[in-house]
Amino acid sequence: MKDLHIIVCLKSVVLEAPRGRIVRTAENSVMNPFDRPAVEIALALRNEVGGTVTAVSMGPPVAGNALLEATAMGADRAVLLTDAAMAGADTLATAAVLNAAISQLPPFDLLVFGTRTADSDTGQVGPQTAVSLGVPMITQVSHMEPAGTGCRLERQCDGFTETYECAFPAAVSVNPDAVVPREIGLGDLETAFGDKAYDVWGLEQIGLSPEATGESGSPTRVLTISPVKTRKACEFIEGDDAQKRDELINHLSNAGLIG
Amino acid sequence: MNINLTDKHIALRRAVKSFCDREIRPIAADIDKEARFPWEVVEKMGRLGYFGIQTPRELGGAGMDALSYAIIIEEISSASGSIGLCVTVHNSVAVFPLLAFGSPEQRDKWVPPLARGEKIGAFCLTEPNAGSDAGGIDATAIPRDGGYTVNANKVFVTNGGVADICLIFARTDPAAGRKGISVVVAERGTPGFVVGDLEDLCGMRANPVSSIRLYDCQVPAGNILGKPGMGLKIGLAALDTGRMGIAAQAVGIAQAALDEAVQYAKQRRQFGVPIEKHQAIQMMIADMATRVDAARLMVYRAAALRDSGRSFSTESAMAKLFASETATAVTDLAVQIHGGYGYSKAYPVERYYRDARVTRIYEGTSEVHRMVIAKGVLG
Ligand SMILES: Cc1cc2nc3c(=O)[nH]c(=O)nc-3n(C[C@H](O)[C@H](O)[C@H](O)COP(=O)(O)OP(=O)(O)OC[C@H]3O[C@@H](n4cnc5c(N)ncnc54)[C@H](O)[C@@H]3O)c2cc1C
Repeated sequence: MKDLHIIVCLKSVVLEAPRGRIVRTAENSVMNPFDRPAVEIALALRNEVGGTVTAVSMGPPVAGNALLEATAMGADRAVLLTDAAMAGADTLATAAVLNAAISQLPPFDLLVFGTRTADSDTGQVGPQTAVSLGVPMITQVSHMEPAGTGCRLERQCDGFTETYECAFPAAVSVNPDAVVPREIGLGDLETAFGDKAYDVWGLEQIGLSPEATGESGSPTRVLTISPVKTRKACEFIEGDDAQKRDELINHLSNAGLIG
Repeated sequence: MNINLTDKHIALRRAVKSFCDREIRPIAADIDKEARFPWEVVEKMGRLGYFGIQTPRELGGAGMDALSYAIIIEEISSASGSIGLCVTVHNSVAVFPLLAFGSPEQRDKWVPPLARGEKIGAFCLTEPNAGSDAGGIDATAIPRDGGYTVNANKVFVTNGGVADICLIFARTDPAAGRKGISVVVAERGTPGFVVGDLEDLCGMRANPVSSIRLYDCQVPAGNILGKPGMGLKIGLAALDTGRMGIAAQAVGIAQAALDEAVQYAKQRRQFGVPIEKHQAIQMMIADMATRVDAARLMVYRAAALRDSGRSFSTESAMAKLFASETATAVTDLAVQIHGGYGYSKAYPVERYYRDARVTRIYEGTSEVHRMVIAKGVLG
């Protein structure tokens, strides 16, 4: 197989409950935990087949640290997409930015995403980007290996394992349990954070107009965010033993807990 | 003095913590109970650079600064004091003297395998009759056949049971008193090199602290570190960095005890409320948090001084004194907050309490540190 170009899209997230405005700092921003397995699977495939891994992230300047972590893990190149006009982008506007940026990079064979993010949890950005780029996508991939001119993939769905063969170029999102992301070596971390070698691209570099992204390019708006109040209610089942039994079975099967 | 934690230091702490959460925390209680040195984890740490933290890249290390070093030791020690001890002693009093005082040949020979964790280092100063009084050692390394014949009885050697490369303090010129002490590098496997029984310790039980004895052990002349007679100078320089490591270790253990105490105080209920609502508990927590914070700042200051190339001897001694006394006080309070459960092996605080205790003893007792500091202040 020829050398691959694998692009991993990752996000820097804030691990704090959204209470008012959050000031993003290096302390409170981390690489989205669901993106680590994505980076890992990309690196493993590259190591097996040969080629390069490019890590791409849209976010505020502090998101550069997540890219440096990916570099420390072994990514060959990193690109930070940051621009005041990208702020407030919803998933579609984020996909628009990623699409524009990916189009500026050398052609890719595989586009890798995490399944979702720890801070907004939509799982939409990967599929939206794949659709906008016109490449097939397989989500929730739990295993991947090179095969033919593409790869063989497994995904778990509804208690079944589906196996696919897929030609490149393609896109995948990686099940968080698919692989254990590697630990970062101290020397690699020192080099990555010492060199701080990543490209920084704004809208101009990716040739996108401000209207196409950020708040103005976002068809959806988050109006409010409030914590969900969970209430535990205890229900007593009345009747004789047989009635109680039937009622309990009824309850559990209606709730989908038994089938 | 400006203590700047850069993005690198923040990412570093996270990476070390991630490693500790996955590899060390889950086994920390067991390796303490079984007094077992966890080779499987140590090998992984070697591959990740933990045994050559400040060693230059070209010699197989990670090439990090002293502040990074302090953060790493702090994080490892909060998971396991014993492994923190292994790493700090190896890096600061075994590898560092080889780097600072070794000839290019000595560095090229010994440092790379140490920095990659393929070999473990040890520092052998203490003897049955010479502890605080390092100048009182009896070990000898007498010139013979173009090399040196070493006889030594070294006790309390951290990493002793697993060490491959040992820095032995011995008299090369017994008539010259303190000026006749040298550091001789002795490798395990050399005829006459004997590893004694492991100490049955109160804490730090997963570290194979043992005695190392050398019986007519013949080493080449090239195994003298620096020059003959430089022993005490090398020892003092090594202990300056070593103390910073022990101070960082003490901060890590204290932080772990504080975290555990806070968690317990929120969950344990007495007199109808979580005990965190009792003012007596709050006062303890406040004192613990303040002391840990102050100790950490002192350690980072010593590290930052070192990174800026300035003298950090006094600051490192003060940090070691304060941090070790903080660790024993804070772990004691953590046991207190846990009540009877704190005295049980069901909770980790009794381990922190045992592990913390020795930080006031090794690499110079608190009393010796006070003497050194007082001398600096009084002149
Ligand atoms: C777990 C562990 C690991 C160790 N690892 C190493 C190692 O890797 N390498 C190594 O060389 N050593 C090591 N040591 C030894 C340690 O450094 C010594 O125990 C320490 O220096 C104290 O020496 P000592 O035990 O002989 O006590 P002593 O020196 O006998 O001290 C006994 C008491 O007298 C006090 N004292 C002594 N002199 C004075 C004075 N002039 N004024 C006032 N008070 C004084 C001391 O502070 C102490 O309270 C280790 C010890 C332990 C317990």
